[in-house]
Amino acid sequence: MKKALAMLLALVMVLALAACGGNNTPPAQNNTPSQSEPAPSTPDPAPAPSGEKVTLNVIISQYGNYTQDWWPTFEKDFEDTYNNIDLNVEIVSWNDLYTVVGTRIGTQQAPDILNIDTFADYVADDLLVPAEEYTSAELKAKLIPSFWSANELDGTVWALPILASCRAMFCNMDLLNEAGITAPPTTWAEVDAACQAIKDKFGDSIVPWGLDISTDEGQAAFAYYTWNNGGGFVDANGDWALNSPQNAEAMNYIKSLIDNGYCNANPYTDTRYPLQDAFNAGSQAMMIGACNMMSADSEVNYVVADLPTQTGKPVSMGVCDRLMVFDSSITASKNADEAARLDAVSKFFDFFYDTNRYSEYMVYEGFLPVTTDSSDLLAQNAEQFVVGGPDKAPGNSEYFANFSSILLSCDFYPSSRAEWIDVKQGVIEAEQRICQGEDAQAVLDEIQGRIA
Amino acid sequence: MNKKRTPLQQTLLYLFVFIVCIVILYPYFVMFTTAAKTDAEMYAANMTILPQQWQWSNFLGIWSAAPVFKYFLNSLVVSGGATFLAILCGIPAAYAMARMRFKGKTFFLGAVIVSQMFSPVVLLVGIYKLMVSMHLSNSLVGLILLNAAFNQAFAIWLLRGTFLTISAEMEQAAMIDGCGTVQALIRVVLPMAAPGIITTLIFVFINSWNEYTIALTLIQDDLLKPITVGINVFYGYNFIQWQYLFATSLFATIPVIVLFLCIEKHLVAGLTAGGVKG
Amino acid sequence: MNRNRRLKQAEPYLWMLPSILLMAVMIVIPIVTVFRLSLSEISRANIVKGFNNFENFKEVLSSPTFWHTLQNTLVWTVVVVGFSTLIGFVLALVLNQNFRGRKFVRAVVVFPWATSLIIQSVIWKYIISADYGSLNVILKKLGLIDSFVNWTNSAAAFFAWECWVGIFVTIPFVTFCVLSGLQSIDTSYYEAAEMDGATFWHRLFKITLPLVRPSLTVSTVLNIIYVFNSFPIIWTISKGDPADKTHTLVTYLYKLSFYSGKSGQAAAVSVIGFVILSICAGIYMVLSLKGEEADQ
Repeated sequence: MKKALAMLLALVMVLALAACGGNNTPPAQNNTPSQSEPAPSTPDPAPAPSGEKVTLNVIISQYGNYTQDWWPTFEKDFEDTYNNIDLNVEIVSWNDLYTVVGTRIGTQQAPDILNIDTFADYVADDLLVPAEEYTSAELKAKLIPSFWSANELDGTVWALPILASCRAMFCNMDLLNEAGITAPPTTWAEVDAACQAIKDKFGDSIVPWGLDISTDEGQAAFAYYTWNNGGGFVDANGDWALNSPQNAEAMNYIKSLIDNGYCNANPYTDTRYPLQDAFNAGSQAMMIGACNMMSADSEVNYVVADLPTQTGKPVSMGVCDRLMVFDSSITASKNADEAARLDAVSKFFDFFYDTNRYSEYMVYEGFLPVTTDSSDLLAQNAEQFVVGGPDKAPGNSEYFANFSSILLSCDFYPSSRAEWIDVKQGVIEAEQRICQGEDAQAVLDEIQGRIA
Repeated sequence: MNKKRTPLQQTLLYLFVFIVCIVILYPYFVMFTTAAKTDAEMYAANMTILPQQWQWSNFLGIWSAAPVFKYFLNSLVVSGGATFLAILCGIPAAYAMARMRFKGKTFFLGAVIVSQMFSPVVLLVGIYKLMVSMHLSNSLVGLILLNAAFNQAFAIWLLRGTFLTISAEMEQAAMIDGCGTVQALIRVVLPMAAPGIITTLIFVFINSWNEYTIALTLIQDDLLKPITVGINVFYGYNFIQWQYLFATSLFATIPVIVLFLCIEKHLVAGLTAGGVKG
Repeated sequence: MNRNRRLKQAEPYLWMLPSILLMAVMIVIPIVTVFRLSLSEISRANIVKGFNNFENFKEVLSSPTFWHTLQNTLVWTVVVVGFSTLIGFVLALVLNQNFRGRKFVRAVVVFPWATSLIIQSVIWKYIISADYGSLNVILKKLGLIDSFVNWTNSAAAFFAWECWVGIFVTIPFVTFCVLSGLQSIDTSYYEAAEMDGATFWHRLFKITLPLVRPSLTVSTVLNIIYVFNSFPIIWTISKGDPADKTHTLVTYLYKLSFYSGKSGQAAAVSVIGFVILSICAGIYMVLSLKGEEADQ
């Protein structure tokens, strides 16, 4: 029995070595023909000596209503191009993503490639393959450097950015004008004044200010208000600093928005999405929302403005989701040949980040590209692609040009750190408790004590 | 029971029934009207109760927006299969527990209950592991087995309760006439227990029809999803398509109501049978 | 003869075999997994690291949120099971009367049950929404309120609404359990009672209640378990917010497991919940089974 096992192990090692030797380890791959050649013309030698098909399971999170319409075409095109790779793309809604992924990992059935927001927990358990091992030189060269290095932890890059998005303040100018406010508010005092004017003018048919401090994304509100009050998650040294006086002040400001009746009635449970829908329908005057929150058929006359700030220097928030590759010891796909698997992964990414295909996907979902080539293309020529949905509305170059430049000046969550999940849950709990009437400084001290 | 009611009693009865109907149907009224609204109207500044323009196309739109019909079929297969299996296993077990004397009867009754004491949410990891090892993950058969298992307590306890209300004399008479236990069960007990069996059937069917958590984690293939999980395509990250969500939900309610209406007659038949016997 | 007797003794077990097999494989194995997980250290990414000396239980029991959640769970279970049983029982009595439109009303009563819990919760969340909810709009149109009411202005209000939704969706189950019991009652009992000139209350307590008791026992025991373990209502409406004040054990452990990356503690919470349920259901069952045997 033991003998058989040893033999098997030896065989696997020989196969793996053969694959490595005969094929391309990613860093040595610099001599690939220059750009825009995702077609099968690239003469890749048969990846696995056995000639067996490689299976890749991919979980993609559902970004919009039409995410599940785009990926089947991708899957088919990819399999047509590489007929020795069996690609299975599964679309999972964000509501269920953590449940599905947690269950799969707990049962050693992880996907090969996962699209999610954080990765530190997986790194802590050695579950991920370093990005250098599957990122082609060509791809690495075109990823915007700050997004590439944002996925670094302990000196290694563990994931690729899939897309980015940034937040801004959206104001319904018709409503503001009618209430006698001519320009978007830039400070908290101006926000208060604008909210009061809206409230006086429209009563309860219009919500002045959309606020979300729910379990869904309450940490975003923490970022919007603390960053623009000189506080934040970490101090200048990069240490957690949740209980700074600036943060306490920001929390008290959020509470005052609620207490003054400026917000939607249930900021504890209203997520950003119904707020965005309400803004689109014209029944909410202002909110901080995502760059792609406006739907094509909205009739609202709106302007996009900087987040209101107390420091004179508005800070916006960028969000970046990731693609990561799981170690074969934990994946459901049982590929005998690890080198062939990584080679397939590498092909998947080259295929995905192909200038045209990736640009098409970004326009389709309304997110901002993280590669330089697609950024350039979309800033000029987004109109050649269509937005997801039955209307087939063309993309908007101005949108990509504007938001891509805002994006470069955004701050991001410190989400590559191991404590991030606790911090995120902690600040949401803090916000809710403070808005329910507990003392801001005391609650923040308690949360800080729990983290540090 | 059919004594004449006084006018006052009659009025009270109808008033009570009327209020019950209003309260129960209210959410469905909201669902229906919302399903026929446009996106903008759902959050409009001047909300109306009825849609300003009825968007009937929403009710047709769902069928092309996603493989909703396939989701329905999957749900039917899973619920039908699970119901059949649960009752097939449940009847003999419940009969034994109602009629036979044996060691550990109370223990078994308790064990059945204990088996239900963990919500599937809690058991997800264990269930998923088990299904993978049985090669039943991502398969409707796996869902059928699980739903049948999670409804055994329902089935056994309800059926046992029903069997207990039936007097044992009839079977004993049948057995004296030369019927075996199995025959007595099929010929005598089952027809008399029809209302209980039908109630059980509805219960198990509805529970399986509405099961969400297990199907969510177990099924990866879009075309194998039951309707509860499939409906998630309208419940995405950036926008929730309320109209489609509610329109589909209304459609998903129909099979259960139809099943109920078909079977309701037999619920009443149970009563008449009792009457004739009396 | 001896073989026959042994067969006779084995008979009941044979009758139960398919059922036991089904449950043993599909449920008992996952339950064993939960117990094992509750005693293990589990990383945030959900990887089991090994036995950790009851650390999960210690952490859970020392958390104030857990105790508040436990209290909520008890209130939730008692309120939902209590009210739905009472209302469901009355409704079953009414639906057992002959009146015009009975068939329609019976079909209506099935509705809350025929729609998945998640959708029910979504729709109720929308109905009571203060800014756009249908309830406020209707009341305002009817002139009953001047300005929109915030129906969920506190954690307690949230919880009360959640209880209401719980009751709403549980009523059909009780009603049809009791109804099926009522319909199995031989009408001759009532005829005899009427001859004796028994009053309504007398008939209710002396005939109806004892005879539907098996059905009522079933529905109550199962309800206690299902309501105790109910997940979608609270998760959809409030996710335990604000500030974790509206959790029940199941939503709390779900958040621990899938949002906070503490699967070990989550498993510990479910084991604790299991113990509590076992005790409650055990007491109830022993009492009611005893009563049943005394009746027979």
